[in-house]
Amino acid sequence: MDDDLPTPVILTELEKGVIEEIKEHGGENIDRCIQCGKCAGTCPVALAGFPWFNKRLIHALGLGIREEILDVPSPWACVSCNKCTEICPRDVKPFEVIFALRRVLVEELAIPTLTMEGLRTLYEYGHAVYQTTYPETRKKVGLPEKPPTTLAYPEALKELRALLRETKLDEVGLIPME
Amino acid sequence: MRFGLFLGCNIPLRRPDLEYALRYIYPKLGVELVDLEGASCCPTWGTMPSVDLAGWCAVSARNMCIAEEKGVDILTVCGSCYGSLSETRHKMLHNPEIRDEVNRMLGKIGREWKGTSQVRHGVWVLYKDIGLDKIKESIKYRLDGLTIAVQPGCHFLWPSEVYVDKEKNPFRPRVLIELCEAIGAEAPDFSTITDCCGTGGLRSTNLEKSLKLFERKIKSIKEEIDPDLVVTSCSSCLLQYDGSVKILKEKGRINFEIPTLHFVQLLAICLGANPDQVAGLAVTGPEEVIKKIRGEV
Amino acid sequence: MTKIGVYICHCGENIAGAVDIEEVKKYAETLSNVAVVRDNLFMCSDPGQELIKQDIKDGLVDRVVVAACTPRTHEPIFRAACEEAGLNKYLFEMVNIRDQDSWAHWHDKNGATEKAKKLIKSGVAKAALLEPLEESYVEVKQAAMVIGGGVAGMFAALDLADMGYKVYLVEKDPSIGGNMAKLDKTFPTNDCSACILTPIMVQVATNPNIELMTYSEVESVDGSIGNFKVKVRKKQTYVDWSKCTGCGDCVKVCPSRVPDEFNEGLGERKAIYIQFPQAAPKKAVLDVGACKECGGRKLGTPPEINEKTGNPKLAPCEKVCKTGACDRSIEWNPEGEIVEVEVGTILVATGYKVMEKKNFKEYCPESPNVITAMQFERLISATGPTEGELVKLSELPKLKKKKKKDVKLEKPKTIAFISCVGSRDVRYHTYCSKICCMYMLKEARILKEKYPDLDIYIFFIDVRTPGKDFEEYYTYCKELGIKVITGRVSGIERVPEGERLRVRAYDVDLQSPVELISDMVVLATAVEPSDGLKELARRLGINVGAEGFLKELHTKLYPVETSVAGIYICGCAQGPRDIPESVAQAKAAAAAAAVPLAQGKVKVEPLISEVDIEKCSGCGICAPLCPYAAISMEETGGKYRAKINVALCKGCGVCTAACPVKAIKLHGFTTEQIEAQIEALGGE
Repeated sequence: MDDDLPTPVILTELEKGVIEEIKEHGGENIDRCIQCGKCAGTCPVALAGFPWFNKRLIHALGLGIREEILDVPSPWACVSCNKCTEICPRDVKPFEVIFALRRVLVEELAIPTLTMEGLRTLYEYGHAVYQTTYPETRKKVGLPEKPPTTLAYPEALKELRALLRETKLDEVGLIPME
Repeated sequence: MRFGLFLGCNIPLRRPDLEYALRYIYPKLGVELVDLEGASCCPTWGTMPSVDLAGWCAVSARNMCIAEEKGVDILTVCGSCYGSLSETRHKMLHNPEIRDEVNRMLGKIGREWKGTSQVRHGVWVLYKDIGLDKIKESIKYRLDGLTIAVQPGCHFLWPSEVYVDKEKNPFRPRVLIELCEAIGAEAPDFSTITDCCGTGGLRSTNLEKSLKLFERKIKSIKEEIDPDLVVTSCSSCLLQYDGSVKILKEKGRINFEIPTLHFVQLLAICLGANPDQVAGLAVTGPEEVIKKIRGEV
Repeated sequence: MTKIGVYICHCGENIAGAVDIEEVKKYAETLSNVAVVRDNLFMCSDPGQELIKQDIKDGLVDRVVVAACTPRTHEPIFRAACEEAGLNKYLFEMVNIRDQDSWAHWHDKNGATEKAKKLIKSGVAKAALLEPLEESYVEVKQAAMVIGGGVAGMFAALDLADMGYKVYLVEKDPSIGGNMAKLDKTFPTNDCSACILTPIMVQVATNPNIELMTYSEVESVDGSIGNFKVKVRKKQTYVDWSKCTGCGDCVKVCPSRVPDEFNEGLGERKAIYIQFPQAAPKKAVLDVGACKECGGRKLGTPPEINEKTGNPKLAPCEKVCKTGACDRSIEWNPEGEIVEVEVGTILVATGYKVMEKKNFKEYCPESPNVITAMQFERLISATGPTEGELVKLSELPKLKKKKKKDVKLEKPKTIAFISCVGSRDVRYHTYCSKICCMYMLKEARILKEKYPDLDIYIFFIDVRTPGKDFEEYYTYCKELGIKVITGRVSGIERVPEGERLRVRAYDVDLQSPVELISDMVVLATAVEPSDGLKELARRLGINVGAEGFLKELHTKLYPVETSVAGIYICGCAQGPRDIPESVAQAKAAAAAAAVPLAQGKVKVEPLISEVDIEKCSGCGICAPLCPYAAISMEETGGKYRAKINVALCKGCGVCTAACPVKAIKLHGFTTEQIEAQIEALGGE
């Protein structure tokens, strides 16, 4: 169907332990899936035309496909709407599986640039979305230049950074965190 | 009534007009908003949730601790913040291992998460805590004659189990509709009401696919109810609608423009706020509709 | 002095693998009262049993202890061997040194051997005190009761009646027929359901051995196999069925309308109604809750007299009734009538119902064009609300306003079927409802053959068509042009014009999200047990499983028996299944239920409690403690003494333990025997 997989896929040569890896990273219910397809019919990622949407990813991971999907963009297109979680008849929580996969991809350092940017600005400013023009826009509507967040309270930013250093973000070594 | 105002990132940094509107409407309706000094990003989906489950809960919990210290519940009107905070709170309430791991990390910065602050959506506070009657009595301008398409947004509705306030039937959302109707507008149901607007990770991964999804939604809205205004309860949806309508019109893929406002902004206008301050940063200009509401046409 | 024979089984490796048989043998020989000790590789085999029989015949032993596996399976074998050799079978004691010893302590050979010695010592101590006992017999009432008048209940009743037994068929609806009467056609033959069912209904209604008790429910059950005393409540019909001819005139004139249960809520019926045109018995029933009491005509009161004409002012239904069956002056008892019936065996065949659509919020249940499959069956049935005409459900209100002939109702052009709604779903029922794949194909095929231009889509998770001729039915449907899509429907949205529906799903084989605009959506909702089954099971003393269906005695080997002797189950009351399976199981249950009836008597094991009237002080503590209500206080010689009903007593021992003066003896487990066992186990 697309270029990510070889044709044919030799099932006995796929990786072992992928399900356990997903479970460890937060996708505990991945093996409850019966591939009914209910989640796929309503997923914005599937509807937008991305090839590796929830149902297909769950099936592929269950078979042991890992190498081939490390660099595909689809898992990063998930909007976390959780419609899949809401309607799944098997309590698979597909959203949690996708995010578990993202955490695995982060360990493999296979993440999009924008994601890295977001993590960097989170550490630097305490905000994932950051725009340098914010003081002017705020003044324009009549608010103080700095919002009462980590931007206005340097101690709080220090505290956030110390906390972030306790998390896996530090181990992964994606961004400078001194 | 007191709530801790959780701003997130988009609202204070990209749409501070919405922040102004927030700070305007609640005191007028009898709700005190206190600042959560030193709060950070919620953290949003593309950051900590994608890195580490415990780390995500810890950053979220830190924000909640600030509210806990002040003895208030959190109030937010960004769908992502509402979702991220509610989900982590739900996880920590139901999972002792995650809670313990988070408190271990928080201990290193001298904090402890107790779970005493709830996470509330500002629109639910208007609907449930303040109530339609109080809103009706307080407004200066009514919306009679206006047709509105409501966009509750995905995080207002799913996953329903983690939220404190739940729609009776999330597949047929009513809260935002009833709020608009209470101030005089018509807010008819339409077939794609619960469809995702296409922003977030989808937009940053592939803008064209995001616009394609959005195009389908905005076209169905125009075809089915032809509204004067789109009203949303999520600041991310606000940015998507406001920005993408403009782009699609410029590319010639649609031949109409419908402005979008967050319900909080709309209510601010109805309560008599200065439109430049509460809605001045919109790209798809709502000036015409606002003039109509204020009877200046 | 008794001569006890101890027979130790190796049980192949099962016992000998952990227990040192030789050592145990030597030990047994040292026990008092033991005359003979033998062992064998398989004690239950013919040669093994011969050892025992020969010793009895030779007069070497007058008590037998077998140390082997579990009495649950093998006690009857050894008892029979003793009896064959001429020894009273209750002079036998079995000691379990497999499940309770070798299997439990497989890795501790020394420990297992020591325990075997102790267990045998205990068994021998009891054997020395065993007394001969005689079985008694209880007459079996030559009648059976079948609860449930659907296809399973009817076939079971017919088989039992044809065998010559009296059958009471209790049905809670006014007519027999059950769910099958609601269906249009049945797979895989596409027979008209009513056509094949009504002859059976007539047979049941006219069989001289079957007493039909419809509009009735089982109120309470006492007794045990062979002698069940069942109280049946015949609900109040407010119509004299001995006079009612089923002409239907009263129904025509009744002004009240309420949703029709037979039509699954799609149409309406009157307050006084006949359940359906082919009802058996065909009698009218008044739904008191829906009765409008025309002209203030209250039930149970004499009518007012019209002053001008001198005639009584009757309600319309009374006026048109030619036989006087509908008579509102009678003081009908709203509680109905309780009838007590005695039967030997009982069969439960209460059938099923389907889940309502309102549970499934993502499937737009508020739209009239979204219906359950059972509602669909009624829609296309010739006896349904549109007399079988396929119309969009949103058009039905138009029927009320004008006469049917004048109104042209819009037909659907596209229909979608959705499988597994409520089944295979942890939020509702985890099981597969089994019949839906086939009935969706059947419904689609009926439509496609009649209206070839209809666009029909069926959304499956898996296509499950395993029965006889089912796969061929499925492939034929595909050849007809019915579109089969593997992939569950994620959601349904209402499209404003024409009350149409947008169905969104994922097509697994196409590997793409898909959607369609449909005029009608049929939901295959889950099969559930009938209302009230849990309470009925409680009254009968049988079990229901976690999902609410009746529990069989053994999943593989005893599918129609229950844990209560004399009570049998069949049909969908036990789990979802189709008509051929229900009928097969009904016949199996009838055959099983006939066995005690044919034998005429039921053995009562003598291992039950008995009251020594001399010792009993009449304190009455035992009576309320008995879980089987077997003890009553009866007057003997001016004093009250406890009396135990041997047919009901199960020998549980609660009364024996509770009696403060030790007046009750539990045969086979007497206080002296138990004390001897304890002493044997406790000593060194």
